[in-house]
Amino acid sequence: MRLIWNQGAGFSFRAEEFFGREEELAALLRVCLEGKAGIGASVMIYGPPNVGKTSLLLKLKYDLQTLPEGAAPPRPFPFYFSFSKILSHPLALSQHFLQEYLWQLLAFLGDSPPAGFDTDEMCERLGTYGLIDYREFLLAHRRFTERGDGLSALVNAFSFPFVSGGEIFYPVFLFDDFQYTCKLQNIPDGAILSILRPYIKSGHFPMILSGSSPGHVTSSLKREGLFGSFQMMEVGGLSPAASEKLWASLFERRKIRMPGPIQARAAARLGHIPIYQRMFAEEVSFRNAQVTDEIGFENLFALSITEGQLNRYWREFFENAFPDRGERARAIKFLKRVVYDQFHLDTFEGALSLLGTSPEEGRRILSGLEFKGLLKSDFEQLRFISDPVLADFLYWAFERGVLGKSGSQVAASLVQAKLSRAAAEPAEGAREKWIAVTKELMRMWDSREVPMLLFRFGSFRERFGGKGLLEVVIGLEKEPQKMRLPKISSVSTGYRTRRSGLRFDFDLVAYGFLDADFSEENLVIWAVDVTTEKVLTAATVEHFENRCRLLSLEKGLKAGQLRKWILFEGSADPDALDRVALYDIFLTHRSQMRLFLNLFGMEELDIAREDRKAPAAPAGAEPLEFELVLPMKADTEVVAARVAEEVAAYASLDKDTVDRIKMALIEACINAFEHSGAESGKVRLRYILSPDRIELFVQDEGKGFRGGRGGEESKRNRGWGLKLIRELVDDVEIETGDRGTVVRMVKYLGPEPGKEGEGSPGPE
Amino acid sequence: MSYLTVRTRKADEVLVVYIDGYLNSLMGEEVERVVREALDAGCRKILLSFEGTRLINSIGISIIIDIVEKIMDRNGTLAFCALSRINRELFQMTGVARYVQAFDREEDALGYFDQSA
Repeated sequence: MRLIWNQGAGFSFRAEEFFGREEELAALLRVCLEGKAGIGASVMIYGPPNVGKTSLLLKLKYDLQTLPEGAAPPRPFPFYFSFSKILSHPLALSQHFLQEYLWQLLAFLGDSPPAGFDTDEMCERLGTYGLIDYREFLLAHRRFTERGDGLSALVNAFSFPFVSGGEIFYPVFLFDDFQYTCKLQNIPDGAILSILRPYIKSGHFPMILSGSSPGHVTSSLKREGLFGSFQMMEVGGLSPAASEKLWASLFERRKIRMPGPIQARAAARLGHIPIYQRMFAEEVSFRNAQVTDEIGFENLFALSITEGQLNRYWREFFENAFPDRGERARAIKFLKRVVYDQFHLDTFEGALSLLGTSPEEGRRILSGLEFKGLLKSDFEQLRFISDPVLADFLYWAFERGVLGKSGSQVAASLVQAKLSRAAAEPAEGAREKWIAVTKELMRMWDSREVPMLLFRFGSFRERFGGKGLLEVVIGLEKEPQKMRLPKISSVSTGYRTRRSGLRFDFDLVAYGFLDADFSEENLVIWAVDVTTEKVLTAATVEHFENRCRLLSLEKGLKAGQLRKWILFEGSADPDALDRVALYDIFLTHRSQMRLFLNLFGMEELDIAREDRKAPAAPAGAEPLEFELVLPMKADTEVVAARVAEEVAAYASLDKDTVDRIKMALIEACINAFEHSGAESGKVRLRYILSPDRIELFVQDEGKGFRGGRGGEESKRNRGWGLKLIRELVDDVEIETGDRGTVVRMVKYLGPEPGKEGEGSPGPE
Repeated sequence: MSYLTVRTRKADEVLVVYIDGYLNSLMGEEVERVVREALDAGCRKILLSFEGTRLINSIGISIIIDIVEKIMDRNGTLAFCALSRINRELFQMTGVARYVQAFDREEDALGYFDQSA
């Protein structure tokens, strides 16, 4: 429902529930007070919808009204007016504007607000305060109205406040939702600004504009030559401290209890946006729910997104923005891809093609989104807002509307995704690093041949599932099916089909030529995406394929000229694997990638980067864990030793320590091979590297240690193995049972007393 | 196995045996064979050079112990040279070091044989 009257929007605002934004308020207050001296400036407040711009304006209004007494008159009269509440007819707007102004002025002067909006009556009342006679103005306005002259009526109404004031007060304009001024019937975009222009320029009338689509407003400002007169102020989420205070106030009134850490986490999940916090508090109180831990919070959050307050909020938003059902569905589908799936998109053309509709409808949708502040265009560059709640809402709308899933199903997957996403967050830099490494790799693959298996995760896993990495390297040497890699000429993150043409964005795009022949026929384009999600989903594959198709189409590529490559870590949905096979996309897992690096002699690239980070890591940082599976074959223990060397390189261990660890491992492996009698023929090793120690686990699946088991080999080593291990490392534990034996060895990495000054051996 | 050969060199009366790579049972047996043949041929001075030895396992050590025993049985002289720090430690841990002189460089070891002659 639309509120027709603002009435200063006073009753929708509670000053005691406003927290944070101290800096913004101080700056705005200064601007408003300087208006008295004729040096007032104008400010344009912008930010995503619902972030709290209106509250900020209302709080400013409240602060201006409650300024301490004693300051010399004139006092600032804060006039709040929201353009979103008006009808689009200019006559209606002008009438409404006049009524609002008079009403708020009376209220400001301490008059009890009149019941109706009779402008004549209000004018008369104002006369009793010794203010000049406004009746001339009102008569003129009536004349324009009767003639149906919308523009003149607007000019009349909007000039009115500027002749008021004087000794007692001066008006301060708080214009909210200003982008709506470009939606007036038969009135050119920017007309309101033209009317206001001389007053803005005068510096006597502080003017605060606010809107969620700054693109529209700033371009109008530029057209009117006013852009320089405005300070821009971006409003984002609250500070964590302010969010906390808001929780405290919201919870106190509703008698809700929530542990402190969960409060902080909840505020972050809600983007520190006050309106979401309010709705969430209402949700908790409405459902009489208890939020005691993270899971509880995520569950309730998902419930709110799928059927509660947050859901209703955004549903109404979209119903409002796109009254047409079809358009709304397309807009949601499009936004879901961009905001939730983080489909990288920054061009207008790209957005249009992703929308997949007629250009007219596409433009209409985009402009609708921009108007509502969900996207911002700057010099043809698109930027989309990132709002965690909106992202999840879009996910819900998509899953429900497009895939027809039930609310509870969506809620369940939301919770799951969120919990796993939360855990994956610190790995943000990992993706960048991985992209950089891949980029280097591509630059190096100069007409090299590599086993096809490295590109095909499905068949790779089928063949090597469960085996250790080094074992696989050995196995791959004889791989018959190979792929000839082109000489890469350039690697970037996007591809433009022609000058000023469409640009396609991927994490990496490389182009090169086969057989060093620089002809169009031998051109090969590699499109690469790197994903660090825990699970590779069909949706991710689908979006990648879509962009590839577009690129292929635009560039007129023949089959095989576009090589599609997705790099991922974690696991993959079976559905995603099916699609990868269907679309002929190369899919490579992080572990395969390491083989690539190995093949190109670039392992150090991977390690060196980690190495640089290592010293910065504080003590008690996450331990690094490595695993290796060895086949029980002669001399494979050397592989274990070699890996130990590599692992130790991460921690820059001294050579002596590394040598001891290697020896100990070799002995443990030999023991496992000899004593276990395992059927599986495998020994599992784990290397866990912490700042203060390295732990080694050697596990076989045999029948446990049997002291006196014979065999030529064990006679020969005379039981030295275990003795040596005990000498070589600091702690040894052996757990043996029906399901095998685990030998745990620990070497502490701190300086050992008495070992210093012995002189470290030089490098070999 | 045929690919596994142990390099040897005769320096006057001393047989120098170079143990390259991984001293495991295979390599150990090969070394043992070479030493046994030398002893059978009347050689009594054996020098094992560990300069190229990258790894030793416990079986390798056991075989070295066998070799020490054999040479002592036949009143021969055995020395080690060019032991890395870890390998020297291994021989200390297993007690071999008590029976065998170890030298940093091959020349030093050869000098020792000259004196003991």
